Amino acid sequence: MTATEPEVMTAAVSARGVARAFGSVQAVADATLEVRPGTVTALIGPNGCGKTTLMLMLAGLLRPDAGEIRVAGADPRHDSAAVRASIGWMPDQLGSWDNLTCLQTLILMGRGYRLHKDEARERGTGLLAMVHLSEFADRPTRVLSRGQKQRLSLARALMNDPQVLLLDEPANGLDPRSRIELRTLVRDLAADGKAVLVSSHVLAELDEMVDDAVFMSKGRTLGDEAAAKVADAKRRYRVSTLDDVALRTVLKNGGVPFDDDPSGVVIRVGNEEEAFQALAWLMSHGVKVHRFGPAGSALEQTYMSMEEERR
Amino acid sequence: MTLVDQNPAPSAAPDPASSPRPRVKGNPWLPTPSGVWLVTGIELRRRRPTVKGWIFYGLLLAAILGLGILLAVVSGDEKTSMPMELVLVLVLGAGMLIAPSLAATSINGDSSEGVLAPLQMTRLTAGDLALGKLIASWVIAFAVLLTMTPFLVYAFTRSGWHWDELLTVIGVILLVVLTSTAIGLAWSSLAARAVASVSLAHLTTGALLLGTLLAFVFVQPLVSETVKDTSSYVDYEALTEEQLYAYENWDWSEVDPATLPCVTSQDQWEYPVAHTEQIAWLLLANPVVLIGESSPIISYDTWEEDGRAAPGLFAEIHRAVSDARIGPSEADLAGQQYDECAMLVAEANGERYDDGWEDQQEVNSVYPRAPWIGLGVQVLLLIGSLWIVIARLRVPYKKLRQGTRVA
Repeated sequence: MTATEPEVMTAAVSARGVARAFGSVQAVADATLEVRPGTVTALIGPNGCGKTTLMLMLAGLLRPDAGEIRVAGADPRHDSAAVRASIGWMPDQLGSWDNLTCLQTLILMGRGYRLHKDEARERGTGLLAMVHLSEFADRPTRVLSRGQKQRLSLARALMNDPQVLLLDEPANGLDPRSRIELRTLVRDLAADGKAVLVSSHVLAELDEMVDDAVFMSKGRTLGDEAAAKVADAKRRYRVSTLDDVALRTVLKNGGVPFDDDPSGVVIRVGNEEEAFQALAWLMSHGVKVHRFGPAGSALEQTYMSMEEERR
Repeated sequence: MTLVDQNPAPSAAPDPASSPRPRVKGNPWLPTPSGVWLVTGIELRRRRPTVKGWIFYGLLLAAILGLGILLAVVSGDEKTSMPMELVLVLVLGAGMLIAPSLAATSINGDSSEGVLAPLQMTRLTAGDLALGKLIASWVIAFAVLLTMTPFLVYAFTRSGWHWDELLTVIGVILLVVLTSTAIGLAWSSLAARAVASVSLAHLTTGALLLGTLLAFVFVQPLVSETVKDTSSYVDYEALTEEQLYAYENWDWSEVDPATLPCVTSQDQWEYPVAHTEQIAWLLLANPVVLIGESSPIISYDTWEEDGRAAPGLFAEIHRAVSDARIGPSEADLAGQQYDECAMLVAEANGERYDDGWEDQQEVNSVYPRAPWIGLGVQVLLLIGSLWIVIARLRVPYKKLRQGTRVA
C-alpha cells in the first residue's frame, strides 16, 4: 500500500491560457508561463505586447478573462489576499508619496503588511541600505532621481519578504553601476529560493541574470518555438578570421554547416567543450582565427528574430 | 473486507511550511480598525499642510475671529442665536466645500500618481482604504470646527440654546459633511480624471442644496388645484354719496362701516394653490433644512418666556418648512384671501384686522420637527457611496476606470 504523495508544487508562479481584454483591445490573448522557486525568468517582448497586463494579472490586481493562474499555490481570483501576501510587485509606474521620507514610506508599507512598527523600521532600514539609499532615509521622496525612485520601489516590493517577485522593467533609468547591482541582487534573491519574474528591454543584461526566458508577442507567449530559438542562439559561435575565403573552404571541405555573418561566419557548437574542439580543429587546419566566441546575446538574437512582427 | 492492512498508514501530510504571519484566505474587503487607522494616518501625513497652507489657515482663523468680535460688538446685549448660527453655517459650508474636494481627488489622483496599487498589494483591504480616505478628508473639515470652537462657545452662551441641542446640531452637521465626503470619494473612484470627479462632487452637493429647492418649486404645478378668488371688496358702484365720501376720506363718524355694500369677487380670476404637504419631503431632503429641523423649536409667540433668543435663522427655516408641510388651509383652498369689508369694520372699531396669519406663524413655528427624512437621505447616500468606493477598490479589478491603467 502506498500513501498518495501530496502533489509537489514545482512552480511558484504558473499561468495557463491567460487572456484579458480592455474593451475591444485584446491586451493578452493567450499567455502560458511558469516560474520555479529559486530561478529568474525573463518576460521579453516588444512595447505593448501585454507584459505589464500579464504581470498585473499574476499580481492579483487584474482579473483575467480566461485561463488559470496559481501564485504560491493560490488562485488570485478567489484567494487574492494570499497571493498578495506572497508577492513583491515592482510596478512599471514610479509612484511615491512626495512629502514622506524614504524610511517612512517603507515603514508605512510594512505596516500595511501587518508588520510591527519596530520590525517595519528595522526591515526598512536594512532594505534602504541594500539599495544604497541610506543617506536619503530621512529625506522626502520627491528629491529622489528617477533611478533612485526605481531603487526605492524595489525596496518597497521587498518589504514583506515575498516568495515571488514580479519586477516590471526594474532596470529602467538605472545607471550602469546600479544595473550591475540589480543583477547581483536579483541573483541573490533567487539563491534565497525566491521565484523572480522580470521584464526588461535591456536584453544583454538579462542574458547574465536569467535562467529562463518567456517571449511575448501580440499578447501571446511564444512557448517551445521561442525556447528552441533561444537554445539555438546559445549554440551560435561567431568566428572572425584574417582570411574568410580560406575559412569557408575549410568548413565546406570539413562538411561543417555555417551561416554567413557581416564579420565572419557563425557556426553552431553544443557546449563549451565542443567549442574548444572546434577552435582546435580550425587552428589545426591553419585558419587564421583572431576572434572566436558566442555570437552575442542569445535573448537579443531571439528577440530580433521576432521583432519583425512589431506592431 | 478480509485483507486488513495492519500497518498504520504513514502520516502523509507534511507540516505546512509555517509562516511567521497567519495566512489569509479569500479576498477580504471588510474594514479593520488597524487598517483604517493606518490608511488615515498615511493620508493625513501626505496632506500635511505646507508652510503656505499654515499661513492660509492662520488667515482663515484671523478672519473668523475678526468676524466674531465684530458680531459680538454689533449685536448688543440681548440674547441672540445669530452669531452661533453663523458659525454653524460656516462649519457646514466649509465642510461641504473642503472635504469633498479633498476626497474627490484621493482615489483617481493616487491612481494616476501610481501610489494606489502598491497599497492595494499589501494586506490592507478595500474597506480599509475606503474608510481611511473618508475619515482623513473628513477630519480636515473637522479642523475648521475646532478652529471656531472658542467663538462657538462664546456665541453659544448668548444663544438661548441648550448644550444637548447644540451637540445634536453639530452631530448632524458632521454627518452631512461626512456624507458629502463619501460622495466625493465615490466620484473619485468612478471618474478617471480629478477635474471630473471634483466637479461632479460639487455638482452633487449643489443638487442636494439647490436642486431640492428648485424641484420643490417646479413640482408645485403638478400638485396644485385651481381655486377661485373669493375675496370680498366694498362694492364701489353701489355706494351712496355719503358712504362714498366716508369711504374715500376714511371718515366713519357719520357712516357705520358695517352697512357698506359688499361684493364677493366671483369668476373674476383663478389661481393655483399648491398642496405643498405632498411635496414637502423634497425640502426635508435638503441638508440645510435638515440642520433647521434638528435645531430646537423656538416659539414665535412665547420665546421670551421660554428663556430663548428671538427666533433666528434655523427657527425661520423650520417655520417656513412647517408651513409647506402643513399645506394650504381650508380657507386657502376656498380661495379666501382678503375681506375688505371686515377689515374696515375692524379698523373703525380700533381693532386689528386678524386674517389668522400670525396665528399661523405661531402654529408653524412649534410644529413638530421632521429630521428623519433628511437623516435617512444622508445615511443612504453615505452607505451607497461607501459601497461604490469599496466595490471599485477591490482587486483583482474586473473593470478599470475608462482610459486608465492599474497603478
